[in-house]
Amino acid sequence: MIRKLLVATSLASLCLVSNAVAQETINMWVRTGIGTAFTSLADAYNASHENQIALTEVPFAELVQKYATAIAGGQAPDALSLDLIYTPAFAAAGQLQDLTDWAKGLDYFESLSPSHVALGTYEDKVYGLPLLVETSVLAWNKGLYEQAGLDPEKAPANWDEVEANAEAIRALGGDNYGFYFSGGSCGGCMIFTFTPLVWASGVDILSEDGQTATLDTPQMRAAVDKYRSMVEKDLVPEGSATDNGVNFLSFTNGKIGHQSLGAFAIGTLVNDYPDIDFGVTLIPGIEGGTSSFAGGDNIVVTKDTPRLAAVQEFIEFAYSPEGQKILAQNGSLPTRSDIAAQTLEGLDARLQVAVDAIGVAKTPYTLLFNDLINSANGPWATFTNAAIYGDDVDGAFATAQSEMQSIIDNAP
Amino acid sequence: MSMTIATPLAAADKPRRRARKSRQWQGLLYIAPAIILVTIFFVIPVLFTVWMSFHNWPLLGQPSWIGLDNYIRMFSDTRFAAALSFTAYYTVIATIAIFALAFPLALFVQNERRGVSAYRTIFFLPVVVGLATASLLWVWLANVDSGLFSPILRAFGVTGRSANLLATFNNAFATIIVMVVWKIVGFTMIILLTGLQSIPSDLIEAARIDGASRWQRFRFLTLPLMRRTLALALILSVTGSVLAFDQFYIMTSGGPQNRMISVVYYIFNQSFVSFQLGYGSALSIVLLGILVALSVVQLWLLRVGDEK
Repeated sequence: MIRKLLVATSLASLCLVSNAVAQETINMWVRTGIGTAFTSLADAYNASHENQIALTEVPFAELVQKYATAIAGGQAPDALSLDLIYTPAFAAAGQLQDLTDWAKGLDYFESLSPSHVALGTYEDKVYGLPLLVETSVLAWNKGLYEQAGLDPEKAPANWDEVEANAEAIRALGGDNYGFYFSGGSCGGCMIFTFTPLVWASGVDILSEDGQTATLDTPQMRAAVDKYRSMVEKDLVPEGSATDNGVNFLSFTNGKIGHQSLGAFAIGTLVNDYPDIDFGVTLIPGIEGGTSSFAGGDNIVVTKDTPRLAAVQEFIEFAYSPEGQKILAQNGSLPTRSDIAAQTLEGLDARLQVAVDAIGVAKTPYTLLFNDLINSANGPWATFTNAAIYGDDVDGAFATAQSEMQSIIDNAP
Repeated sequence: MSMTIATPLAAADKPRRRARKSRQWQGLLYIAPAIILVTIFFVIPVLFTVWMSFHNWPLLGQPSWIGLDNYIRMFSDTRFAAALSFTAYYTVIATIAIFALAFPLALFVQNERRGVSAYRTIFFLPVVVGLATASLLWVWLANVDSGLFSPILRAFGVTGRSANLLATFNNAFATIIVMVVWKIVGFTMIILLTGLQSIPSDLIEAARIDGASRWQRFRFLTLPLMRRTLALALILSVTGSVLAFDQFYIMTSGGPQNRMISVVYYIFNQSFVSFQLGYGSALSIVLLGILVALSVVQLWLLRVGDEK
């Protein structure tokens, strides 16, 4: 009798447990401006799984503060797709779930995007795993090249060529412009598209250990001069000076000759703007060479969420061949190198350029990324606007250099 | 920020003690809801903010007591100094601009005549639009590609090509001032109007008979009699300007090269972008002190309180 009862109760509790799992709704956040890769993946997951994902899109510039305040207020989502550069800061604050044992148990752990895993690891524990991968590349509009009498199949190999071709396109008149960048106060846009110009020469805006600001270099001066010259020659639309990232995809209007953008944008262009004929190439350095920003998102789990198992199921779905394919179709590069060839098979060939960029790409590592770089009022965002649009280039360098250093020195 | 204007209770006359006592309790009962609200939503938060300001209080993680360090740090904080001076600049310009327009408007709509209520409504209409909504509307109006102002300026030949109004400090600042005046002037006008209408017309009449000119009547009669109204309008305007945030956040994200960071914007950035809630609290307390001081100075300058 007792045995029967035990069996019955354990069966009942099993049912309860599985029921609970079956009905789970995972609350997840994702930032805007990263294309459709993540939302498509979530849709596919919801269609094929019992667990459901409730997705909230948060404006990219506010995600960090919203997540931090949500944690402080006990309203945090179970998991979120977090710009990978922020993973160290949140891991250091002790707010993320330690995924080490589970992650290392995945057969393909060793083949996950190394830079993402590196940024997701804090003090030898894994807190974030790669979800979306993108690199920055330079796109040119082949249709406008043709109209301007340029060879549409010949990618510009250096910035003098970009400028010359941009002039030819601007000469078409009207609303056709040669070049575009979000130069208002979008630190995130500029670190993604502009710093590769100097990275290609091996210099950086921060020292290796992140403790010294090294903004003022001959290479950065040359890069600034090149952008200034294009602005002065009226090759860049006026709106660029105040674009805080909202119009980052201006290239999609078909009237921009060149723009540095990311792999997500390739997905958006291919899927949503089939009329725009464009090519992509690696971003040339100001003194030769090429470079790129390897960015994207890590998936992180809020500490002590009750829905850890469900989130893990979702992550495994993202890493499955099916999940990888959906991500790649929307411009997110393969996170698993062991099945990368299989994932990219039959997809737009231009994605391959973005994959190749991984080889030359760089990802900055600092706990102060928001303060220094991404904040619309941070020194980097201020610097790019002041140096490129302002009247006092030397002053812009001096101010930004000292302000960055002061933020580093005053960090708690 | 809400303002409570305390009116001293009229001194009780001298009935029997018990009656007075019970009336005092009644009075307390009447103001109890206000006291409770002010305590919960003002006094306690302020005290808590003071408490926080003595800590290194990260948004995430454990706060630690650091005494007066946050306040000491302010003295060497150049960005805070820049925010203070920008806010002062903005307050002076915005207040002058608002009064320069609100006074003539109030005089204009003062007298009952045909269509005057239509004018009053039109001038007051922007006030009921939220400041954030108004800012968004003006961002669009000032947009270089799809807005209204740039194409108009271009069509009239003022600028050669479409000008990006928000790209340089002076243009962006002027745009914001125009927006704020458009938004606020109706409110100030209504306050001034009530002051104007409270002046007995026989006084003006008497002055006219005595041969006072229009300017003399305004200078020696209207202005002095409007002192209290002016003080109210001035304090509201100055307080609003010192606390300005929405328009800079929405319209220029802090302005070309960060030159439009107001004090509140800086506090917001310190607290929620840099996650230093403790320092943000200390800055808030200092701002509160500045506002109280400014209000006291204004009341003193306008000699409100001492009856002649």
